[in-house]
Amino acid sequence: MNRRRFLKVLGVTGGGGATALSGCSTDNVEKLIPYLVPPENEIPGLATWYASTCRECPAGCGFHVRVREGRAVKVEGNPNSPINQGKLCSRGQAATQGLYNPDRVRAPLSRGDNGFFEPITWDAALARITERLNAVSGDRVWFVTGNEAGAFDSLVSEWLAALGANPSIVYEPFGYEAMRHANRVVFGSDSIPAYDFAAAQYVLSFGADFMDTWLSPVEQTRQFSEGHSYDSGRMGRYVHVEPRMSMTAMSADEWIAPNPGTEGALALGVAHVIVRDRLASVPSDVSRIQTLLDRNDPASVSGVTGVSVATIERLAHEFTAHSSLAVAGGVGAQHDQAHASVAAANILNYVAGNVGNTVTFGADINPSGESSYASVASLVDDMAAGRVAVLFVHGADPAYATPANLGFAAAMRAVEFKVSFSRFLDDTAMEADLVLPDHDPLEQWNDFEPRAGVYTLQQPVMQPVFDTRQTGDVLLALAAQLGGSVAATFTAASYKDYLQARWQRLQRDRRPFDVFWTEALQRGGMWTEPGERAVRLAAGAATVAEGTWPQPSGEQLTLIAYPSPALYDGRGANRPWLQELPDPVTKLTWNSWLEINPVTAERLGIADGEMIEVSSAHRTVTVSAHLYPGIKEDVVAIPMGQGHRWFGRYAGARGVNVLDLLAAEPTEFGGMGHFTAVTLRNTKDYEPAATPAGRSRQMGRGIAQATTLAALAHPEEQHEEEHSEHAAPVPEHIEEVLDEWQEAQYREWKQRGNYAAEDLPRWAMAIDLSKCTGCSACVTACYAENNIPTVGEKLMRRERGMAWLRIERYFEGGGDEPLEVRVLPMMCQHCGNAPCEPVCPVFAAYHTPDGLNAQVYNRCVGTRYCSNNCPYKVRYFNWWDHSNENDAAFSFPDPLHWLLNPDVTVRSKGVMEKCTFCVQRIRGKQNELKLSGESLQDGDVVPACQQTCPANAIVFGDLNDPDSRVRAMATDSERGYHVLGSLNTRPAVTYLKKVTNSAD
Amino acid sequence: MKREPAGVIATFRHVDAATDAIKALKELAYKDFIVYTPVPNVEVAAAVGHKVSPVRVWTLIGGLLGVTTGFAMTLWMSYDYPLVVGGKPLGSVVPYVVIGFELTILFGALATLMGVAYNAWRTNQRGGFDPRFTNDTIGIFVPCAEDRSNAVEQLLTKNGAEEVRYET
Amino acid sequence: MATIAQPQQDAIPTYDEVTRDIAATLGKPKPGYFVLLGIVLVVLLIGAIALMYQVRYGLGVAGYRPPVLWGVYITTFVFWVGIAHSGTLISAILYLFRSAWRTSVYRTAEAMTVFAVMTAGLFPLIHVGRIWYAYWLFPYPNQRQLWVNFKSPLVWDVFAVSTYFTVSTCFLIVGLIPDVAAIRDLATGWRKKLYKLAALSWRGTDQQWRHYTRAYLYLAALATPLVLSVHSVVSWDFAMSIVPGWHATIFAPYFVAGAIYSGVAMVVTLLVPLRKVFNMERYITVRHFENLAKLLLLTGLIVGYAYGVEYFIAWYSGNPFERASFWNRAFGEYWWATWTMILCNGVLPLFLFFKKIRTSIPALFVLSLFVNLGMWFERFVIIVVSLSFEYEPYAMGHYTPSWVEFAILAGSFAWFFMWFLLFAKNFPTVSITEVKEIIPMPRKRRLHE
Repeated sequence: MNRRRFLKVLGVTGGGGATALSGCSTDNVEKLIPYLVPPENEIPGLATWYASTCRECPAGCGFHVRVREGRAVKVEGNPNSPINQGKLCSRGQAATQGLYNPDRVRAPLSRGDNGFFEPITWDAALARITERLNAVSGDRVWFVTGNEAGAFDSLVSEWLAALGANPSIVYEPFGYEAMRHANRVVFGSDSIPAYDFAAAQYVLSFGADFMDTWLSPVEQTRQFSEGHSYDSGRMGRYVHVEPRMSMTAMSADEWIAPNPGTEGALALGVAHVIVRDRLASVPSDVSRIQTLLDRNDPASVSGVTGVSVATIERLAHEFTAHSSLAVAGGVGAQHDQAHASVAAANILNYVAGNVGNTVTFGADINPSGESSYASVASLVDDMAAGRVAVLFVHGADPAYATPANLGFAAAMRAVEFKVSFSRFLDDTAMEADLVLPDHDPLEQWNDFEPRAGVYTLQQPVMQPVFDTRQTGDVLLALAAQLGGSVAATFTAASYKDYLQARWQRLQRDRRPFDVFWTEALQRGGMWTEPGERAVRLAAGAATVAEGTWPQPSGEQLTLIAYPSPALYDGRGANRPWLQELPDPVTKLTWNSWLEINPVTAERLGIADGEMIEVSSAHRTVTVSAHLYPGIKEDVVAIPMGQGHRWFGRYAGARGVNVLDLLAAEPTEFGGMGHFTAVTLRNTKDYEPAATPAGRSRQMGRGIAQATTLAALAHPEEQHEEEHSEHAAPVPEHIEEVLDEWQEAQYREWKQRGNYAAEDLPRWAMAIDLSKCTGCSACVTACYAENNIPTVGEKLMRRERGMAWLRIERYFEGGGDEPLEVRVLPMMCQHCGNAPCEPVCPVFAAYHTPDGLNAQVYNRCVGTRYCSNNCPYKVRYFNWWDHSNENDAAFSFPDPLHWLLNPDVTVRSKGVMEKCTFCVQRIRGKQNELKLSGESLQDGDVVPACQQTCPANAIVFGDLNDPDSRVRAMATDSERGYHVLGSLNTRPAVTYLKKVTNSAD
Repeated sequence: MKREPAGVIATFRHVDAATDAIKALKELAYKDFIVYTPVPNVEVAAAVGHKVSPVRVWTLIGGLLGVTTGFAMTLWMSYDYPLVVGGKPLGSVVPYVVIGFELTILFGALATLMGVAYNAWRTNQRGGFDPRFTNDTIGIFVPCAEDRSNAVEQLLTKNGAEEVRYET
Repeated sequence: MATIAQPQQDAIPTYDEVTRDIAATLGKPKPGYFVLLGIVLVVLLIGAIALMYQVRYGLGVAGYRPPVLWGVYITTFVFWVGIAHSGTLISAILYLFRSAWRTSVYRTAEAMTVFAVMTAGLFPLIHVGRIWYAYWLFPYPNQRQLWVNFKSPLVWDVFAVSTYFTVSTCFLIVGLIPDVAAIRDLATGWRKKLYKLAALSWRGTDQQWRHYTRAYLYLAALATPLVLSVHSVVSWDFAMSIVPGWHATIFAPYFVAGAIYSGVAMVVTLLVPLRKVFNMERYITVRHFENLAKLLLLTGLIVGYAYGVEYFIAWYSGNPFERASFWNRAFGEYWWATWTMILCNGVLPLFLFFKKIRTSIPALFVLSLFVNLGMWFERFVIIVVSLSFEYEPYAMGHYTPSWVEFAILAGSFAWFFMWFLLFAKNFPTVSITEVKEIIPMPRKRRLHE
């Protein structure tokens, strides 16, 4: 029985079900303006913005939701938020696809006698639960939630307490158990400190993918690019230690691949050298761990890690030469001995005197979200043993996000009554007896505390799309129905009241509450600065674990299950934007893959795209191989996030769930072990990869150029200019002739038509490659802003993706010399001498007076000559009718089409399209200014990609404005260059060379 | 369609005989006789002695018209709705040469057709005809009145006509 | 004594024989003819269905894979335009050169030209994304007050190809008039009525011949530069772009030579069976084939030379993109296409240096087939392989056509042969009048007596 059949049955059983599926309760939104009388603040054609909080991951970034005619159409980072300061990642940008996801549960469902779900009214559903709860004793009631730090958390706890039930179990697949454990041992505090990547000029990461998913990626990316990127002669240095080069590691100046799971030993080795040579003012109490350090002298460490003694010594000196920061975490802190790695990193920070500087306790990250895999494992035992009568699951999908061997789903069947509050029919909800769909985060009242002192608010930005109900209200309603002591516990009539009551307690000042409340709502929350907490080395610090991951022997390889930058732990898998987003590292889409080093692959006779049978002690999965030079030999990796059994049309039955391969037993520190030993068998079946990437080498064409800090510091010295003969510049005298000619043309246009207008801007963009991390947030933002259709796996195999903006990823070096990764955002270059324009027979492509390379869809006949003649290949053709619901390629199944941006055309079949520099935003701003009579200031117009870029790599503006930022960057003689400039296309996009701070 | 004029039709197998007959007729100041040949023949043409066909003038005018149209149209259209493409001049003459050229040929050819149609119609000759004339026989038709037909027939026969007959 | 005056009648046919022999080809068709026509129509139908399917669902049904956005359709367009070139060459240029041997082959070649252009003309339409707006490529006064972009080579194409179609059609019709008249005077029944209409009351009077010969001369004079221009313009579709492998000044002459090359090959392909079926051995002799073979050899050598120059300049220019592009042609994913092309167009024609081959009709026939194949692949290599390997390494891709494209390709051949079959049975495929013209008229006296 597959997903489709299930939905079919669901649709057939009961007419109510049918209507529920075909979207009932949407009447009020079917109208263009869903109000009988539009309220004052709702002017048709003008957007309303609401501040809210992103709940796509526990980082808790704040965002603004753009609402047009009562429908949320886009989210953008909230500039006031202390976490993300106006930036968002891909997952945040895709939040609207959760809201409008066609696979949302559209009404409460209960499992009928035939085993299939049938629609049920809310009252009936609540009645059933009440009856159940009255029937069973409290200690047989369990509640599993996701990481909820705030009102909902306390509501659940109070509710359970009132019931006399067990405390709730919080389950986040990445609960940072190892960090908490290690911090407890080393510093005696199990909270997660704040790491300051901006202040650190030297970052040493032991497997912490702090720009992918670890802790607060957007915030850390911003800080990192502040602290690390090249700025007038200065830049930081970043060394990454991990057997696999993650997206974060691609930005590293040096990548060290030790034996898997030996990062801890390396950290101790470095600490050893620092203490030995007194490289830093080592705190006195380090003597406690002297013996520990002595045991880890460079020689022995080198033996364990496979990193040379010289390197260890060098790292120690570099680490102490500048203000530095060592972080251990991410997937590097997910193997059996990971707590040792983190502890070692802590010690390293401590001996180098970073604790209190770049590592500060107090503003602790995610204070109350203490989830643990161990507790889930014990719950499974209870369930299997029949000790659980009623199970509530909210905001978590443990049936999917735990190893198959744990048997969560199977154990659930032993529970008499299972209630899921999931918004989607995920693998856990499919096991439930009752599904009471919660509101989407964009539809609900809520708050969240991503770090001590930072309280963010969520507010409903639009009418609920479906017949859903906020779980908080459901719990309160249940309490009322249960009556007696339970009902007495709660005074709040609704969850909103409950929330406000909590915020009344939070209010510090004397103002009336509603003033405070409104202000908080507008700001997006309330930020306070908790005091810093000094920590010393704990007494038990000497007893920290020193273990390393046991290297597998013989034919076995180490498999690493790492979180996907786009899908995270899998919760993003039902968002088509995220599925179609090329993985920042491998550039693969819509599926799972096995990363394997080319050398190992050759040894095992494995070719790219061949289906490989991966067998661990626990399970076997079959997945296609991807040869990746950025992974250590004899180590393989599979991203998490795919392999859902259910979870809707986009995620269901796609790829493999790598967790199936992992061991079910919790690790010593209570987490899930993400490393396991596997053997590979080549099935010889071949499956072409769904990737937009052609070649991964630049063929020396200087597309993504780079230089070194040394070269910039001493330009007078002769550094061999890479790709010099290819990026051959146009000779000086030719340049002059061309310029004069250009001027003559310009004067001629100035006499005619639209071109005759005075003081026109010339729009241009500049991209700093020393900031760009390749995180691809801009790509998703572009999808969201410009109504770009997703085409699905089959078409991606033919490179028919429609992304206007792509992140090109090239490898340099590799093999014997160090591997370097270059990333380059490539969108329409809006050339001054655009090759695409003159070849269009019908003027569909032409040059606007303000320097845009316009594409008029309604003129386009579809000869596709423009794309042939575009050296950058940034024009995309509508091969299919993605907007026709009768066509196979239909991209916007109801209600997904509600998030289409009303300001942007949905392109029809047979026309060419491309990046417009977000012309709708330019014109919108210009009209706005025309009305207000002000003049355009630099930074007034912000395209979607620049708006969301967490690294602030993209700058847009007017070249004719002498003191615009983009002008300054475009004329940067030090690093500025044009891609394929030798073709004399005069691009409006200037790239600033990437700078690597190589070891001195 | 008005009836064809009465006159003498003579058929010739030999081209030189036909030319003799034509010369003889011209000496006797016969004008509007018709010579049919299955293929164009220089000797006959010379004997009849037409001036060169005016069709070539048509061709010339057509061609000139074409080239001017070509350049005028392209240039005017470029400035009528000015759109800048590829940083090039609005009216770039060089690429327009192609259009100019093609229209020269097109108009020239069409004008030639019109020319031949017009001239053939203007100089349309009516008179007796025999299907063999398009096959392998040369024919001469001399329009004349009944009473003078004998004289003509004799003249033609004397010059080697194979059959002569009078048609009304 | 001149033998021209009294030629051996057995060697040279009389006017009457010419007329009857050629008119005989228009007799009632044998069943085989209808079988052939049936097959052709079925294939055409399949192609038409494929096209409708593509129009309904979009070009996605074709095998396109970015960055290759021009594929089989443009390849086939150029192929057919090329075929169309020998006709006018043989009829116009050789006419101006007064070469007598053209007379018995030019009608076939000319008909072929017209039908080839009719086929080629379909492909730009099939190729575009919004076929229902294809007419926007013509400069006509419209509501949008927008004219076409005369800087675009595609607009040049529109003008060149439509002009070529018009002129070559006129040329064919004008040439047909006296023949149709001759047949009219033989035919009976409904056919007589038809030809009477078609003959435009031609009688071969001295005045008619006077204007006719002039007009024909000037049409030939106009058609000659047109032939050379059309394929130059087509070649500029590529040469005017900046795609490595396209952006070359040699393209115009290179394409013109290639066009004539493929055209002559197609003439041979058509003439050999035609001559058999219609028993035209008397009029289309081995000598004609040898002349065609010489033309093949000449153009073939030019094409071969062009291949050489392309690679040499790619290397000599020192432009890394050009070099890479040509390296990829010879040794990249598409090596097989490149080497097919070089073998068929560059190597095989060298056999024509041997008179034995030139005068052996079966050998010529086979060779002509290979040249046709090779020339299709030449366009495929130039278009697809260059596009698949441009400037951006990240945006390089491999294109393989889909069944839709192959169906439409087959359909185009069906379309072409349908017209040719219909023509061959209703109009003289060998020019009656011009064959007669090279046979001197009987005279009483010897010349110069």
